[in-house]
Amino acid sequence: MCCSHNITEKDIQPGTQDKSYLERIKGMQFFDPHIHMTSRTTDDYEAMADAGIVAIIEPAFWLGQPRTGVDTFRDYYSSLIGWERFRSSQFGIKHYCTIGLNSREANNEALAEQVMEILPLFVYKEGVVGVGEIGFDDQTPAEEKYYRLQLNLAKEAGLPVQIHTPHRDKKRGTTRSMDIALEQGLDPAMVIVDHNNEETVKEVLDRGFWAAFTIYPFTKMGNERMVDVVKQYGTDRIMINSAADWGISDPLAVPKTAALMKDMGISDEAIRLVTYQNAITAFAQSGQIDESDFATVKNVDQSLKFSGNTILRGGQQPRTDKSSIIIR
Amino acid sequence: MMSHYQSEALKILFSAVVRQNVTPEVWNWLNDKSAQTNNSQQFNIAFVSVPRKTGKSLIRVTEEQEKSLRKEGAGLSIALWTIDRLCRVWLLANADSTDKAQYFQTIENLFLAAEVNELVALYSALPVLAYPEMWSKRCAEGIRSNIGGALEAIMCNNPYPAAYLNEQAWNQLVLKAFFTEKPVEQIIGLEARANAELTKTLSDYAHERWAAHRTVNPQIWRCTGKFIDKDIFPDMERLAQSENILDREAAALACSESHYPPAQELLNKLPGIKSAITSGELNWNVLAEKIKNHVLQS
Repeated sequence: MCCSHNITEKDIQPGTQDKSYLERIKGMQFFDPHIHMTSRTTDDYEAMADAGIVAIIEPAFWLGQPRTGVDTFRDYYSSLIGWERFRSSQFGIKHYCTIGLNSREANNEALAEQVMEILPLFVYKEGVVGVGEIGFDDQTPAEEKYYRLQLNLAKEAGLPVQIHTPHRDKKRGTTRSMDIALEQGLDPAMVIVDHNNEETVKEVLDRGFWAAFTIYPFTKMGNERMVDVVKQYGTDRIMINSAADWGISDPLAVPKTAALMKDMGISDEAIRLVTYQNAITAFAQSGQIDESDFATVKNVDQSLKFSGNTILRGGQQPRTDKSSIIIR
Repeated sequence: MMSHYQSEALKILFSAVVRQNVTPEVWNWLNDKSAQTNNSQQFNIAFVSVPRKTGKSLIRVTEEQEKSLRKEGAGLSIALWTIDRLCRVWLLANADSTDKAQYFQTIENLFLAAEVNELVALYSALPVLAYPEMWSKRCAEGIRSNIGGALEAIMCNNPYPAAYLNEQAWNQLVLKAFFTEKPVEQIIGLEARANAELTKTLSDYAHERWAAHRTVNPQIWRCTGKFIDKDIFPDMERLAQSENILDREAAALACSESHYPPAQELLNKLPGIKSAITSGELNWNVLAEKIKNHVLQS
């Protein structure tokens, strides 16, 4: 979320939209392994599909204010595997999720205990590709306790882990998150460490973990910096996401960064790895990602023709003409 | 009324279709799990993990089997099911129902934490669950869903709603099916459960659509024939003058089912269509097919 940079007159002027970058990434496919669609609109889904995003992962997270009961957690997890998955399919985007208790709400211990009890109901569900996002926020003892318990759960279920690294005291928080994962006996190849920056990436890669980068204006990575990271560290175990949520964020961060990389002379294959393939390789260790599903959810025509029966139609939403002032 | 699945013949048919679509290992796994269904945790895990064992491809089912299933299952059709859906329904059908309260809670909990494909399987299983009258509220709740697949599982080729929903819930099902553009010809009991209240609601719905310059699926008149009266009759007159042949045919079909004298007179004014109806060349299913082709072409 935006909060701390110095705002100038220029920053608050309405922007103009230049979509010419879409031409430069035409035909490319993208996978955004961290985006909170619950907080986004159907306009975003349309724009994402148009930009070539074929599949996404929605990690369970903090909704902006604390929940007060276990039932709201249950309904939220339920919506990730139910309603949001369906909503996404209407735009031809395959939706996966990771399920977990986020670090902030781990601090309400009475509630956290109840949430831990219902997590096993959800982590084994179809399309749940990991335990996440979990880890540290304030780095309190309660956060550590539930982080460890959820690492155990992931290990038992054979699922990858998606680790949220803290905004404050990031470098030490990241190191500590990895130390604990190893202490709990996790294989670093099953752990995706998220929200990296130039300061944390080297250690994450050296220790054998996956390094995810969030392209998020003002508070996390900018994509020009991302280009330099890829130039310096290559593509091995590196992936990019938007982490778009209820804050000022950009659900097109992945395709936009791909376009920028192309402009900066990074090869198509390298772009494919960091904006698509590496995330799939990492999360497919759950056994829950089948790339042929991306085509199934996308290709509404093919299912329409099946036996001439409309029952298999994906139920994709008709487009509205956004530039028209007439609404029918 | 007994659950449809209490029919031993249907049970055998179901098992045969499952068997021909899974490996012997998966067949053994299913039988092993269904033997443990008094243990709700084991049952949960089995239900959730079905696609990991079976994959998700479309099932193969012979014409003969489909015919027998339709007969034994009051119109039930599984031709377009995937293997995970079939196996989940099989698990539910074979669950231990001795302890009614526990049985209800176990299955109800599956509904409460279901992902999309699980919802489809759960609603598809309504006609094969024990204590069928116990699930009518759950079925009515499902109709409130906006998830297309879940709605279709309830509405299409499923004999449960017509057998167990009260009139209010049934009317919601029909109205919502038209509203969400489902293949209404696949609703089992559509004509049998037509009623005066539904006719009035559907007529209002048509008027709203007309006022908004939107099209109306001619099949909505499928439920109205027997209830044409002075209030509904003007709709028939309007349809009879429509430029769309499908509307005129719908009006004629509805009027042919009515004893209201003006409706009979109106039918006589459409002699070509009337004779097609008399000869059996035109009926609601033929019209449904024409509508589908019309939609696919447009």
